[in-house]
Amino acid sequence: MNTSDFVPDQMWNGNWKAMGLIVPSLLLCSIAAGATPPRRQEQHFKVEAHPVVTIHNPNGMITVKAWTKSEVMIISNRASDDVEVDAEQMGNRVDVSTHANSDNVSPENMRADYQINVPEDAELQIHNDSGEVNVTNVLGDMNVETVAAGVDLEDAAGYLTVKTVGGSFQCLRCAGRIEASSISGNFRLWDLHSYHVHAQTSTGNILFSGEFLPNGLYHLKNYSGVIEVRFSPGDSFDLSATSLKGKVNNEASLTPKAHQQHFYSKFGNSLFGTFNAGRAKVELTSFDGTINILKRD
Amino acid sequence: MVATTCKDFLNHVEAWIGGEHHPDANAHFRNCPACRSLVEDLNAIRSEARSWTAEEAEPSPRVWNSLRLQLEQDGLIHEAAKTEPAPVTTGWLSGWFRALPRPALAGAYLAVLIAAAFALSRPIDRRINEARWLEGTQVFTFPLSAQLDTEQNAAYSLRNSDPAVTASLHQNLAIVDNYITLCEKSVREEPQNEMARDYLYEAYQQKADLLAQMTERGEAIQ
Repeated sequence: MNTSDFVPDQMWNGNWKAMGLIVPSLLLCSIAAGATPPRRQEQHFKVEAHPVVTIHNPNGMITVKAWTKSEVMIISNRASDDVEVDAEQMGNRVDVSTHANSDNVSPENMRADYQINVPEDAELQIHNDSGEVNVTNVLGDMNVETVAAGVDLEDAAGYLTVKTVGGSFQCLRCAGRIEASSISGNFRLWDLHSYHVHAQTSTGNILFSGEFLPNGLYHLKNYSGVIEVRFSPGDSFDLSATSLKGKVNNEASLTPKAHQQHFYSKFGNSLFGTFNAGRAKVELTSFDGTINILKRD
Repeated sequence: MVATTCKDFLNHVEAWIGGEHHPDANAHFRNCPACRSLVEDLNAIRSEARSWTAEEAEPSPRVWNSLRLQLEQDGLIHEAAKTEPAPVTTGWLSGWFRALPRPALAGAYLAVLIAAAFALSRPIDRRINEARWLEGTQVFTFPLSAQLDTEQNAAYSLRNSDPAVTASLHQNLAIVDNYITLCEKSVREEPQNEMARDYLYEAYQQKADLLAQMTERGEAIQ
């Protein structure tokens, strides 16, 4: 099933005579070098519906795009010969990993970039410490973990869990269920159509602009920084916003709630109320950050 | 007595107020702002109560007259009492105490006691509750904090790792440590504030996660 092949970076366009001299020379060189694979490598794996693709990379740019083929294509580019890229298939799962060839690899050499195409129903599990992770049009569940790498998802759906230490997270036109956490990363959740969003960062900012779907739950929480939520006149949500030591700024005309408020209300600055019919539930919490509830332009 | 926690201290606070300062209690008292504050409040109440008994104030004739009028209207004292004015020099309450029927006197006395007890108990209850909340929080956070500190102080062999990753981990550990300090301060100031407690617990959770990541990578934490 593995139709792996290797495509060298440099394309040859010489004449046949030159080829007669160069090809044997290259073969000799590669034998002498212990047949080191080229740094750019392309591999193809035939898969069935809902394949799982796992990627484990210490550092680099990972770009994943959905396509219509029932196939996973992996193009990897290693920073040095000190690292190796492994890609293997186990049933309907494809595992990709970067690892060192020796014990003494410099950090800058311990890097690989990936360009991966997957069926749109693929499930992804990505671990990339630093660099970037970009995923587009993948509708399966996704779990992305990074330390410093930023995560950028576009038109993704399914159950999305993103965890970073300091990396930022952007979700553009995402749907499904989103759970994101970070310590200092900023979150930008833009044009969402998610029914469940739980985003928590300690010192980062959170920007949310999207539809509040009926029965949806939207919980945004940080320690410091700004939480900004944009709403449109047609939205319908039940709001609770509390900043223990910071401010809460609101542009929504809320109907006060009749029953007793949440226990947080006696501490800090709080705002509770219903916008239109209160179909979705929106909870915004900050320790000493500012919470802005603003009209969408 | 071994007083290492707020609960232990509170159990022996009466003895403390009475002047029995056990070394263990002393140590706790020195290190616990909540218990110090509680003892200060209790001492303040005690000295206030002493001043009440010491003063035995003479009420003004206006107060006595209005009180007598009210008692007459309520039928608790009778005309006869008016004809024999109370010798105010023997104590301001003695005259009408003699005139009051005993059940009424007992009832009034009880009502005054209950009101005084209620008024005095509110700040004490608040302090005790706060101390208990704080203690409850500390029961969870002290061992956790100690464990995390031990973990943080442990030396790990430094592997060749990406400087960006190492920098990010260390920078974020500092952020979380600062966050823990601020949350702890907030919890000490408002022990009943559930939101502050939640943030503190989450900060510890984040630190634990971060230390675990650093340990996995063999990062030197210090």
